[in-house]
Amino acid sequence: MLALLVAQNIAFYVIAALIVFGAIRVVTCKNLMHAALWLVVVLAGVAAQYILLAAEFVAVTQVLVYLGAIIVLFLFGIMLTRAKTGTDEDLDNGKIPKIGAGVIGVAMLGLLGYSLWDGFGDREFGDLLVQRTAQVSDSIFSTYLLPFEVISVLLLAALIGAIVLARRD
Amino acid sequence: MFAQLATFAWTAPSIDYHALAPEIIVAATLVVLVLVDAFTGENSRWATSSIAGVGLLAALIPVVSLAYNGTERVLFGGAYVVDDYALVLKALFLLSAYVVILLSTNYIAEGDYYEGEYYQLILASVLGMMVMTSARDLISIFVALELISIPAYMLAAWRKRDAKSNEAGLKYYLMGVFASAILLYGMSLIFGITGSTLLVEIGPKLGDAISSQPIVTLGIVFVIIGFGFKVSAVPFHTWAPDVYEGAPTPVTSFLAVASKAAGFVALMNILFIGFYGRDDVYGPLIWVLAAVTMTFGNLVALRQTNIVRMLAYSGIAQAGYILAPLAVAGTSLAVGGEALRSVVLYLLIYAAMNLGAFAVVIAVARKTRSASITSFAGLFQYAPALTVAMTVFLFALAGIPPAGGWFAKLEIFRALTSAGTSGGYILATIVGINSVIAFGYYGRLIRVMWMDDAPDGDVAPIRVPVALKAAVVLTVGVTVIVGVFPGLLTHFTDPITLFSLAR
Repeated sequence: MLALLVAQNIAFYVIAALIVFGAIRVVTCKNLMHAALWLVVVLAGVAAQYILLAAEFVAVTQVLVYLGAIIVLFLFGIMLTRAKTGTDEDLDNGKIPKIGAGVIGVAMLGLLGYSLWDGFGDREFGDLLVQRTAQVSDSIFSTYLLPFEVISVLLLAALIGAIVLARRD
Repeated sequence: MFAQLATFAWTAPSIDYHALAPEIIVAATLVVLVLVDAFTGENSRWATSSIAGVGLLAALIPVVSLAYNGTERVLFGGAYVVDDYALVLKALFLLSAYVVILLSTNYIAEGDYYEGEYYQLILASVLGMMVMTSARDLISIFVALELISIPAYMLAAWRKRDAKSNEAGLKYYLMGVFASAILLYGMSLIFGITGSTLLVEIGPKLGDAISSQPIVTLGIVFVIIGFGFKVSAVPFHTWAPDVYEGAPTPVTSFLAVASKAAGFVALMNILFIGFYGRDDVYGPLIWVLAAVTMTFGNLVALRQTNIVRMLAYSGIAQAGYILAPLAVAGTSLAVGGEALRSVVLYLLIYAAMNLGAFAVVIAVARKTRSASITSFAGLFQYAPALTVAMTVFLFALAGIPPAGGWFAKLEIFRALTSAGTSGGYILATIVGINSVIAFGYYGRLIRVMWMDDAPDGDVAPIRVPVALKAAVVLTVGVTVIVGVFPGLLTHFTDPITLFSLAR
């Protein structure tokens, strides 16, 4: 048990470092295609963290929705519009916005990091919160039946609206 | 393997179909519209608006029967509650959506728009609002909010060939998803610290044991900022004027009235049940938001030359008035009840007077093809009835008796002063000063309509179609009757409470 926990912790830090590196590359990369591909690293890392947390359903959803759909949408979007696919120096902001964004980013990191640490510290949740996929599906069709049905109407509306706005006429 | 699966015993939830009947009727109407639109030709397009209108009115029947029945229905373990509060607001959303459809009928049919799909999206958005009135858990609230917003983003861009409308849709969408992200992050913090998505369970946990944690403060602040975008409170209002101006005018009226009211409903659900014990956090925050919102909205409205933009800024100022009682709601349970009722009452009256004002703007634009304030010059010479109606609405918005708005504002003052705190009195004073400033621009429009001469001496009368006439008559009727007999409305709003579950 202990050996597993050590391995889990090491894996967590390795993956976390990868995510942070990928996220920094997304915003510093001067090639739009590469930025989108670095985003794959970030999102896949998050999926891996979910697996480590024993949230298998969330992990699979993350892979299906973010890696499978959204990144592909990004790449298609870049390629189908007439955006440059090579390196583009204009992709970068000026000096002042860069410093501003950096300051805000560090401030947010400090604020959120402090309050999350203060809120949860090293509290252990144990096995109690391990959600099996079967439990998730049970609660979708009982406790959360109504939001589930509402989402189906939402998808219908989004489909109708998207067709109207996107069609050539 | 199968034996293991069988150990997860799933029991079908018991569903009270009477309680859900209004939502089911609206959803069914939406499906019927999709089918009718798919299987009929161009020449029967007129049917779509009629079906949508009839569906909305039909959904009122179970709302009335539920109100007559009177029992509070709790579904899904407290996640969905149908009580007086929910029913009054459901009726508000159904009726204001009906008026919006009356406003849209000719506008959409005569312009170059997709018709059937327009009504389908309106119905979807209204369904979200109705779910919102009863939603008492974070997931339902978020899902309802998205069902309200996503059709609205697309409706704002409905004038497909107009760059301004495209800009409106895109801007609304980007700001909206940004707000949703902040809101969701706040909700996840709240869920993380309380371990529940049910507002009833969140309330006591936030109030007692873990009171001084910064994470609680952060969660509450993020949630309020998220809704601040939805109700266009300053400084999160920047999208509103551009979106209102760019969107087709009936859509603007829908956004300004129904969508904004839905944001307030969600905010009230969360504040009064989930966050009620934490007025040390939300009280000062909402106080500042309210004061800044009403002052900024009114001062900028003074300088507008476009009537839709003026109504947008006036709507921002009104959002400030509506926020004000929420700032003192935590003082005591009695003050909380007073604040809740005053906000619901304001939303009801605001819907009538603002929809009416937009109806007149749409009617006048049929002739002048313009939305500038100068195009209203000399309106009295060729459209006296519309002028009188618009004057009634402007008096109501400014809060001058006998038009309905004075009573709404009085209730806001009552709630603010009932708190008995210096914060409440100062905010009441700010509301008073703002009402005077607001008369500056409402009064200017009234003067232009009554005193100035029509441009180019063109006094050909406006041909107002029946649906639009009905909308104006309906809204004038409600505004005046409520102003003269406010008891008719308070009869419905007096029994409202949100605490019965929380305490």
